[in-house]
Amino acid sequence: MKKIKSTCIIDDDPIFVYGAKRIMKEMEFCDEILVFNNGQEAIDGLLNITARGEKLPSIIFLDLNMPVMDGWEFLEDFVKIPNHNKDNVVVYIISSSVDPRDVERVNEYKIVHNYILKPITHQDLRNVLVEVA
Amino acid sequence: MGTRSFNFLFKESIYPMAVVDHQMRFLNHSKLWLKDLDIADPDIIGKSFYDVVPNVTQEIKEMHEFCLQHRTKLNKVQKIIQPDGRPQWLNWQIKGWNNKEHNQSGLLIVAEDITMEKKNEELLLNVQNVANIGGWEFDFITNKAYLSDTTKKIHELPLDYEMNLDKGLDFYKEGEHRRRITEVVNKAITNGTPWDIETIIITANGHERWVRSIGKCEIVNNKCIRIFGTFQDIDEKKKIEIHNKEISERLTMATTDAARIGIWEYDIPNETVSWDDNLYRIYGVGKNDFDQTIDAWEAIIHPEDKTRCHDEIVMAIAEDRKCTIEFRIKWPNDELRYIRSEFTISRYQDGKPTRMIGATWDITETKTTERKLKNLLEVTNGQNESLLNFAHIVSHNLRSHSSNLSMLTSFLNTEENEQEKKSLIKMLTDASISLNETVTHLSEVVHVKTNSVEKMKKIKLRQAVTDVEKNISALLKEKEAVCNIDIDDSLFIQAVPAYLDSIFLNLFTNSLKYCSPKRTPIINVAAKQNNNKVIITFSDNGQGIDLDKHGNKIFGMYKTFHRHKDSKGIGLFITKNQIEAMKGSIEVESIVDKGTTFKLMLRRNI
Repeated sequence: MKKIKSTCIIDDDPIFVYGAKRIMKEMEFCDEILVFNNGQEAIDGLLNITARGEKLPSIIFLDLNMPVMDGWEFLEDFVKIPNHNKDNVVVYIISSSVDPRDVERVNEYKIVHNYILKPITHQDLRNVLVEVA
Repeated sequence: MGTRSFNFLFKESIYPMAVVDHQMRFLNHSKLWLKDLDIADPDIIGKSFYDVVPNVTQEIKEMHEFCLQHRTKLNKVQKIIQPDGRPQWLNWQIKGWNNKEHNQSGLLIVAEDITMEKKNEELLLNVQNVANIGGWEFDFITNKAYLSDTTKKIHELPLDYEMNLDKGLDFYKEGEHRRRITEVVNKAITNGTPWDIETIIITANGHERWVRSIGKCEIVNNKCIRIFGTFQDIDEKKKIEIHNKEISERLTMATTDAARIGIWEYDIPNETVSWDDNLYRIYGVGKNDFDQTIDAWEAIIHPEDKTRCHDEIVMAIAEDRKCTIEFRIKWPNDELRYIRSEFTISRYQDGKPTRMIGATWDITETKTTERKLKNLLEVTNGQNESLLNFAHIVSHNLRSHSSNLSMLTSFLNTEENEQEKKSLIKMLTDASISLNETVTHLSEVVHVKTNSVEKMKKIKLRQAVTDVEKNISALLKEKEAVCNIDIDDSLFIQAVPAYLDSIFLNLFTNSLKYCSPKRTPIINVAAKQNNNKVIITFSDNGQGIDLDKHGNKIFGMYKTFHRHKDSKGIGLFITKNQIEAMKGSIEVESIVDKGTTFKLMLRRNI
């Protein structure tokens, strides 16, 4: 199993971020975890990375409902970021929403790999590793 | 009587007559003879008859000879053509005479001009043929019947058919028709009453045929001795008449009873309008209250629809098309009715309009139903939207807390580090508080949805706003905010007190929460009345919201646009719900880093 270098969590809920980070650490999911509290922060942060000429994290866990800029708006802006390894970035939506409209809408975004329903579990992350590897 | 006076009388006779000898030479003639036979020569005595009257046919000449030989009497009608082409009928009466005393013989000839009578007869015959009118008579003395050829033809009888009264009546269709003709004939015979009826006969060939039978009787010594009259074939006319009657009855039934459609006609050059009875009923106008002018019609139309109707009619005339107009009218009892009218325009050959014909009906019920349906749809849409919102809260917000709770408890189960355990319990507490908050919001929203108008009261607006201002005075002081309230004491609104409180509290706290750190927060609240509404403007000089980006979500549930620890995204959602529950509305205007203005429209209470 190939180890992931960098992962990004975009979520405004500190409890979720705590839990996700904790599970990742427990299973040594990756070397580095980036956290942004909403879409706008994430866009700004990711733009910074590309500006420095560094690689974008290869996995992004994205929440849908967030203040300032929500997950959908993030996706719209994210695909416009010019960078050299965007094709290697995989986005997972992580949401507590069981609203079928949300699940359906996710299919409209090519960049989104899958939809993970909260609460996040060890098994969810193991599946991600299998898929990405 | 002397010969002289006889001679004088002969000259002056009212008949055109002449006496000739056995050699057909004139012995004497009346004045009329010359005149009626158009003889120009005044002195014809001794001259030959055939020289003087050249047009006589061979047949008449033979009659002359016959009468001379046998001293007998013959008569014959002869048609001659005058030199100028005019036809002339002469009734020749020829009588041979013999005077033994003077051993003389000759002819007495009368040539009566019957052209007039003949012409009338011919004319009558033509009329009978054209109009299909025949004559008939029954003679009760001889019990014989006479039918003219036309009458026989109408019966489809051979021309030599022998008719009598009973046979005649048998031609009438059995049942109502035969009963009627028998009745009128009997009445005529007993009372002398003439008749004129339209009935059906069955012809000799078995065809049904409508006829008009006119008859009267001749009475001698109180006894009817003869009935006679005319007989006319009116089959075609009657069938058309019956057909038209059926159509018009059907139309009347359809328009009057079933659809209640009124028909009208507008004579454009004369500017007169005519209505059928239905239209008077539709417009609720009495027959004597409408003077049949276009102005009188326009006067019925609702003032707000008048110009539009007028323009549409003018346009329909100009563009030559079928037109439909809808307008409102007010019945005498002040009831508002919706009317629809469709019409077409007919024109002279030069294109000038002559008249408009239209059908009009009342569409009030349709309109009312339409409006009810629209309202219902709006309500349903609104409810559907809030249902979706609830589904969203349940599926997203409640779940986000519950998933956190289950995640944290699973960590707690395996955690051995005491320090870490404590921090997990702290997070559990936060998560359960959040869950509690969400449930509270949910119940608030449900509350707004279910209770509304019946709790509305008359509220003094200024009082309500200043009360809220007082309640948050500590917060205002903390932010060093300036608050200007410019509301007239006389303004009262119709509102649910708790909602109004919650709305202003939310607006005030929002303004303070999102104030600009660069300047002193200023909040201006003003109100003015507009008809039966009160418009409240609530503006601040805070951070503002990018409405181009977030405009459609500002009143949505759990939408926040600022990085602020207290942003929940529920306040404006509930505010909007409360305002709409009170039949009001709310709008927002905002410029980023300049400020935000909310415009509230609420019901005024006078």
